[in-house]
Amino acid sequence: MGATLDAFATWLHATAVSDAIRSSPWLWPWCEITHFVGLSLLVGVVGFFDLRLLGLFRRVPLNAAWSLMPWGKLGFAMAAVTGVTFFIGAPEQYINNVAFYGKLTFLLIAGLNAIAFEFFYGAAVKASTAADATSPVYRAIAIVSIVSWFFVIYWGRMLPFIGNAF
Amino acid sequence: MELLASIEGSEFASWLRESGSIWAYPAVLTLHTLGLGVLVGASTVIDLRLLGAAPHMPLEPLRRLFPIMWTGFWVNAISGVLLFITDATTKGTTMVFMAKLAIIAVAVIVLALIKRSVFGREPVASATPTTVKTLAAVSLALWLAALITGRYMAYV
Repeated sequence: MGATLDAFATWLHATAVSDAIRSSPWLWPWCEITHFVGLSLLVGVVGFFDLRLLGLFRRVPLNAAWSLMPWGKLGFAMAAVTGVTFFIGAPEQYINNVAFYGKLTFLLIAGLNAIAFEFFYGAAVKASTAADATSPVYRAIAIVSIVSWFFVIYWGRMLPFIGNAF
Repeated sequence: MELLASIEGSEFASWLRESGSIWAYPAVLTLHTLGLGVLVGASTVIDLRLLGAAPHMPLEPLRRLFPIMWTGFWVNAISGVLLFITDATTKGTTMVFMAKLAIIAVAVIVLALIKRSVFGREPVASATPTTVKTLAAVSLALWLAALITGRYMAYV
């Protein structure tokens, strides 16, 4: 497994696109800025929606809070595209880094939680115009969301400090 | 300059910078990232709403985002001071760092202006006045500028 991953990282590192990402002096910093703009959008919009599911901001109907979600998804897309760019540019920094797998694990949990929520409750949320609707299931989903996004950020921040340093 | 050097050389700043403890520099940097997400994220929610996204969202309940934003602000003010003292001689003499502080100061003033004009004694009508929309757009631009100058700090 480790050898296969190392071989993959070596191969990816040698590709033209990986080389192009590394050799541009401005691309990496601008991707970092975009990554943080995406993080802010995601934390703001998804965090606000999670607090609403928990029962705060009860006077905001669920469908109104949900209507900001395209901006949260845009934030996720910005962070995801730039994150993949980092990985392609320097795969060896991530492939043997325990923090990277911590981040991926919580990204998976947060992602599945969000997809399941939209799949099972999306229609109900879009139809929910009442001021104070929430439920134990909504609360549980909100807690999973907040905790898992917290750890996505935590492990992301730990990338340069745990495992092999940047 | 001597003052900055003595701050940077202090036992506490050295511990933050060099101990290698996960509770030192990495924890402070994590707090700074979380505070940024909370402050800029919540402010962005209000700005987007004022600019016309989610028009059916009642504005008045968003008043309660302000204590959350001030919490994010103070987490970042404190964690920012801690990050500063680990590298005071460099950060304290960098123009971009001064620009970052100035941008954040103006952004916080704009946030206070939004609070006063939107969540003041007279609740705003559902149609957002142009001045409020301008404040919201300026707020978004300032947070973007703060993020750009903030990320730049990793390169000085």
